[in-house]
Amino acid sequence: MALNTLIPDEAMAMVGQLLAEPVTGTITAKEAQRFALAAGDLNPLYFDEQAARAAGYRSTLVPPIFLAWALAPARPVGETRQDGLYRSGGRRVSLNVKRVMFGGEDWEFRTPVFGGDTITSETRLRSLEQKEGSAGPFVLQMTETTYRNQNGQTVATAIGRSIAR
Amino acid sequence: MSAQRCIEDVRAGDELAPLMKNATRVQLFLFSAATNNPHRIHYDRDYAATEGHPDVLVHGPLQGAWLHQYVADWAGPLGRVLNLSWQNRGRAFPERELTFRGRVTAVTGNEVSLDVWEEDDGGAVLMPATARVRLPRRSERAPGD
Repeated sequence: MALNTLIPDEAMAMVGQLLAEPVTGTITAKEAQRFALAAGDLNPLYFDEQAARAAGYRSTLVPPIFLAWALAPARPVGETRQDGLYRSGGRRVSLNVKRVMFGGEDWEFRTPVFGGDTITSETRLRSLEQKEGSAGPFVLQMTETTYRNQNGQTVATAIGRSIAR
Repeated sequence: MSAQRCIEDVRAGDELAPLMKNATRVQLFLFSAATNNPHRIHYDRDYAATEGHPDVLVHGPLQGAWLHQYVADWAGPLGRVLNLSWQNRGRAFPERELTFRGRVTAVTGNEVSLDVWEEDDGGAVLMPATARVRLPRRSERAPGD
């Protein structure tokens, strides 16, 4: 049996729980377009009402990857750390590791997101799993974020994978 | 815009036309601004060096947005990207050519499975990914949703 030497009981007890309070925000078409332009993505469905209607949508779409960034509340400059990132407002998953590396994302896009939609996101700790790698033991940590629109429909889910060792 | 790709046009083994990206430092700044991401590794080269990086890094989410763009453009306005999974495997730097490539792995009903990936200018795969896309039939004029 694998021993969870890197995963304290308190961390394991958080599996399935919310890592932060749900966040709600309205995504404007303008913000969505700023994101698309910064990424160099000129898809007419994001910019052109007529093109969006011609494709069967009621108005312009939001690039769905933007969901991950569109909802965070504005924060004061003083709340940033040495590396520039904002200090976490959520619950910390404390593992017996030195560093955490981002591993990847699994997105499911269920229904379109439109400019003007009000989206609520909830992030849970989905799993913690200790594994044995060539460079020693590591923890595969997965979080799952669910995005719902103003009608209660789930528009997207995103699983984030991190490797902690 | 090119003609809409339909499910009848697609076969397992088909290759997607590559997409080239080459991020300027200004683009990295604008992407940080558009996502309200103050992480210094994307604009402060001296700071990035303290974390062991030879230059500032292209954001993982920007590469994720490029992957989505690559697949969504291939699917066309009447297609729908249903899911997209990627692995962050290597670092990407600005002012270097990055290439997105892909291949159809399966066609089932109206859905297409794709392998897609991002390579750096040395051919190293930085981001392997899979996607599932729904395409219209030729007889369809308007999509669902």
